[in-house]
Amino acid sequence: MKKNWIVSLLTVFIVSIMLSACSNGEDKNTITFWTPLTGDDGAYMDQIVKSYNETNPEFKVKHVVTADMYTKISTVLNSGKGIPDLAIIHADRVPGYVKQGALEPIETAISGQPEIKEENYLPQAWSTGNIGGTQYTVPLDIHANTMYYNKDLLKKYSVESFLDDNVVTIDEMLSLQGKLDEGQYVVNDALLGWVILAQVQDLGGDIQENGKPAVDTPVMKQAFENVKKIADAGLMTPFGEDGYLMFQSGNVLFSTDGTWTSTAHAAVEGLNFGVTNIYSPTPDKFTNRASSHLFAMLGNEKRTNEKEAGIGAFLEYVRENSMEWAKAGQIVASKQVIENPEFQNYMQSFFTANQQEIDSLYIYTYEYYPYVAEAVDTYCADIVRGNVDLDETLKTMQKFVEDKIAESSKTTTN
Amino acid sequence: MKKRSFAPVFFVGPHLILFLIFILIPTVYGIYASFTHWNLMNNPEWIGLSNYKTILFDETSTFYNQFFNGLKNTLIFVVISVPLLIVIPLLVAVALEHKQIKLKGTIQAIIYIPGLISISAAALIWLLIFNKQLGITGNVFHSQVAWAANQPYAWIIIFVISVWGGVGGNMIIYRASIAGVSKDLYESAEMDGAGSVKRFFSITLPSIRFPLIYTFVMTTAASFNVFGQPLMMTDGGPRQTTHVLMMYIRQLAFGHGESIAGMASAMAVLLGLVILVVSALQYYVMSRNSN
Repeated sequence: MKKNWIVSLLTVFIVSIMLSACSNGEDKNTITFWTPLTGDDGAYMDQIVKSYNETNPEFKVKHVVTADMYTKISTVLNSGKGIPDLAIIHADRVPGYVKQGALEPIETAISGQPEIKEENYLPQAWSTGNIGGTQYTVPLDIHANTMYYNKDLLKKYSVESFLDDNVVTIDEMLSLQGKLDEGQYVVNDALLGWVILAQVQDLGGDIQENGKPAVDTPVMKQAFENVKKIADAGLMTPFGEDGYLMFQSGNVLFSTDGTWTSTAHAAVEGLNFGVTNIYSPTPDKFTNRASSHLFAMLGNEKRTNEKEAGIGAFLEYVRENSMEWAKAGQIVASKQVIENPEFQNYMQSFFTANQQEIDSLYIYTYEYYPYVAEAVDTYCADIVRGNVDLDETLKTMQKFVEDKIAESSKTTTN
Repeated sequence: MKKRSFAPVFFVGPHLILFLIFILIPTVYGIYASFTHWNLMNNPEWIGLSNYKTILFDETSTFYNQFFNGLKNTLIFVVISVPLLIVIPLLVAVALEHKQIKLKGTIQAIIYIPGLISISAAALIWLLIFNKQLGITGNVFHSQVAWAANQPYAWIIIFVISVWGGVGGNMIIYRASIAGVSKDLYESAEMDGAGSVKRFFSITLPSIRFPLIYTFVMTTAASFNVFGQPLMMTDGGPRQTTHVLMMYIRQLAFGHGESIAGMASAMAVLLGLVILVVSALQYYVMSRNSN
């Protein structure tokens, strides 16, 4: 009796282990495709993958939405097991991953697809995946910082003329000082860090000089001071308030959030809104700080040449059929899609309407951009609200970035 | 000859395997990583005590400032939240023992359920409650404060959500312990003229001293690991005054850009040591007093 019981337990244990092993099994005819696309974005990508699989390709695609994907990528690359065949990564990850040897050139996968080439994509989305002359990624989209405006409020305050040249300047915003009803504001502080990084470009600056981080610079200081003027004038939604919700509730003229939030704004009953560029200190230039979702192949020795060709076929399908992705509010990178008249139905087509708009979509490609962005995001709200000394905080930010770079530079790649 | 039995191995084995895989090996590897430069992808490169020297002694370093600011904020959270998470559940548990209280099970469930709700969902609800424009505090109580952006209000909303979510767990333990105390003791004390306060301090508290020690130590350790509440409610602000150590550790290891996991591991080990020392002290002091 006792022996039977032990044998049963042992059997259950072994079967469990076998089953768990099976779950990690990789189908040699399936392209495992990881993305960090949670929520609605994941559903739109699911639809694209489903449509592709219905064409009965030799290699079907299995889309796996992977929350905390970058952590998991580190884990699988370290262990060498369970590495996905294809992944979507953000533009700012590319330089670091290439330096660490984590990415394989995508050229082998797209060699059989003559239409997957620079001319057929938005140029900055394509070039962000080109490091040292080698192409590591194929772009899916550009998602940018953008400025929504409340049409009714612009009319109420008779400032529709702000939009005439597609550049709302800081001076124009300041002209509304003392003219707004109580509880109404000119602009909110959504994605404030991105706005600051756009101002840096507008002022002709950059976040790096000869490969060294440039945070504590006169241009960065000017960028913060310009935005701070809006807050000091009482025209920015109050610190700690949900400016995004305040825009949706009809109390803010401009909201500086992302292209992807157009769908959420559209769902708000009675919100009569449009889209334009991020405000600028000068009427001569405007920048919309952007990022990009990019298809990339992580280093994986088990991926066969045939499977890589299958990946190429999938990427070509996406290039031709990613109108679905526009529903997510993203600026699709494929020119075939954005030149299709149907794309004009989507609000983000504003950013592909002419060359000047396309050029305004700026993707930072500096290797240590993520550290700079982290420093800006960490400190920008307190600087703009005047809670901290600007000069001192810029020094702290510069040190923050330099310390992180120094620490990361000590590591040796595999 | 005595037949050898493997049954105990099957009882203990699964736990041992899980303990090895998910606790011991990661802990040992984490300690090892704290002595290395590591970006999660490369082979960890041994550098001895360098990370610890930077964190503890290099006053110009960002990591030094992050560690001590994070530790200070974590200690503020621990010192205020732990007493609240011990005293409030205890009072609720004692109050629920009163004979005239009806629907004890329902009340217990209502207090316990918040602990089952994910911190993200809970934070969304509480942020709306404390929203100046849209929330109850602004519209009903006419509060004009942006809670998340001003001190001490930023800490207050963190404590409110922590107590709201944390009271239920300890309360269940106290209720179960109080239920195990002999009713005879209370009856005799009542006959001897002891009032409710006297009965609480002379009978209830001494009778549940071990659950009290357990909850005190465990609540303290959990509070040192606070992460979700400040992340969701204030994102560490204003001016990083609610930025706790776990948030810095996570940012270093899994944040933007290339991981600085070696430094993050060193901070985590130091936090672990603080928890170990504080827990040992608590256990020692409370056990000595209870004897």
